[in-house]
Amino acid sequence: MTPPELSSPTAQPRVSLKIEEFLAALALGLVALITFANVLIRYFSDLSFAFTEEVSVCLMVIMTFLGASVAVVRNHHMRISFLADRLPALWQRRASIFSLLMIHVMFLILAVSGALFAYDDFRFEVTSPALGLPQWIYTLWLPLLSLVVAGRAAGAALRLLRGPTP
Amino acid sequence: MISTGLFLGFFALLLIGVPISVALGLAGTGAIFAAKLGILAVPTNVYAGIAKYPLLTIPMFVFAGTIFERSGVAQKLVRFATALIGRGPGSLAVIAIVVAMMMGGISGSGPAIAAAVTGVMAPSMLRAGYPSAFTAGIIAAAAATDILIPPSVALIIYSVLVPSAPATAMFAAGVIPGTLAGLALILPTWWLARRHGFGANATGEPRPPFWSSFRDAFLGLFAKVLILGGLRFGFFTPTEAAVVAVVYGLFLGIVIYRTLSWRDIYQMMVESAEISAIILTVVALASVFGWAMSTLSIIDPIAQGITQLGLNQYGVMALLIVLLIVVGTFLDGVSTFIILLPLLIPIAQTYHWDLVWFGVILTLKIAIGQFTPPMAVNLMVSCRITGARIEATVPWVGWLILTMLLTLALVIAFPALALWLPHYLNLN
Repeated sequence: MTPPELSSPTAQPRVSLKIEEFLAALALGLVALITFANVLIRYFSDLSFAFTEEVSVCLMVIMTFLGASVAVVRNHHMRISFLADRLPALWQRRASIFSLLMIHVMFLILAVSGALFAYDDFRFEVTSPALGLPQWIYTLWLPLLSLVVAGRAAGAALRLLRGPTP
Repeated sequence: MISTGLFLGFFALLLIGVPISVALGLAGTGAIFAAKLGILAVPTNVYAGIAKYPLLTIPMFVFAGTIFERSGVAQKLVRFATALIGRGPGSLAVIAIVVAMMMGGISGSGPAIAAAVTGVMAPSMLRAGYPSAFTAGIIAAAAATDILIPPSVALIIYSVLVPSAPATAMFAAGVIPGTLAGLALILPTWWLARRHGFGANATGEPRPPFWSSFRDAFLGLFAKVLILGGLRFGFFTPTEAAVVAVVYGLFLGIVIYRTLSWRDIYQMMVESAEISAIILTVVALASVFGWAMSTLSIIDPIAQGITQLGLNQYGVMALLIVLLIVVGTFLDGVSTFIILLPLLIPIAQTYHWDLVWFGVILTLKIAIGQFTPPMAVNLMVSCRITGARIEATVPWVGWLILTMLLTLALVIAFPALALWLPHYLNLN
């Protein structure tokens, strides 16, 4: 949770970050609405709304990847900058580019392996525990949104490479 | 061989400045590749790591905290605390600590609170004649301590990872040690400020009226009553309590204080989603690292090695104090718990330590690390805003570290300080 004043300003991405911002905020809002509806329904009726838990949990997973994507572009991910900040400017820039490449690699691995993971759910017709829906409609988001994060990391690395050298 | 690579890879990536989450994930993935454990273990653990209902509490409390911070509760608490304590020497410093701790209870992110409270308090403190290093040091310490005060994200993560320590019990267990920690910060701060005559310039300004400031602050503090009372009487689960706090905070900000516009609310949703995502990314990728650690059976030998060092349980406890304070200076509470709990819980079980008590003292240790110079994040934030050098805070922060260590010793010596309240409330 590096606060805004500690992050270095990077050039604006070409694909607006507002897309992920909006969708992440939407996912958060939906989770809040569903949970609050649960409280109300439980107090004013005998109905159980508990099966919505799996939808909320899936929305949280979606929110996590979208938010992670925003945090990559804004350089807000928690990291230890103590050493990197003490490097000469040229090496600081190299460390930043390396760090973005590592993010790219991690989420690319997640996108590929996550696709296999979701495909297994599809192939074996796994159904979700509470609602009995096909499980792949939940797990599909993992590879899909990992690809988004990987793309954002690559984009940020390219902007740094093309930007002014210190 | 592979286990050495796992740790070396993690530390190397960490030191270069790669995000903690990615350093954990890549080291874990590398070990899974090297040991040929099957690539599917990576996405399976990432998904299973965050697709957990209790974790929903995190985005909801972060959202609630952002709403309370943004709707001006901090300023109202400052006004009320000023009405209560007055403006004599040392009082602004004490107010800053009280507000940082009360806000922390509502929000739960150290650096964010350090930034917010420094923003609210530092200008008037500097005007009143407090040195910038003193101001930065005490605010950082107070913001670090708030991970002990319910409903804190660190305590929630602990309860998710340690099923025998439910979140409600952890919250109750944090109340008395959190209050003691608050006193451990307030007393030396008051004494130091009086001794050096800091804040004497502030006496000229009038004291705000007691009742009107009390009413404003009470509405904000009522959120805490709502959350903790609702949990205590079993009205809500922690997630529901958090969402009730969100609704109450929105009501306060839109209808009562009239400080929030729809645009502000959207902005807060974006920000809360991002902050929660940052925490949950660590949780997700750390579970890959954790799975690799346990599958390669790395943990048991280390835990056994520590318990067979020939130290008694107090010796091991002393070792853990040093370890956690050091780790706490460069990692936040959430990451520390996720990385170290698989190692620490077996050690605690060897000595039959109560896991709720253990969680509280671990949190206290991390809190001390979070404001120990030179690497502590909270200190970096408050120094950046006040313009102080981190080295210059040492003479002031040193006293606070000392009194916090005394508090830690008290809670270790008398476990009832943590355990009495949850037992009394029948929470475990």
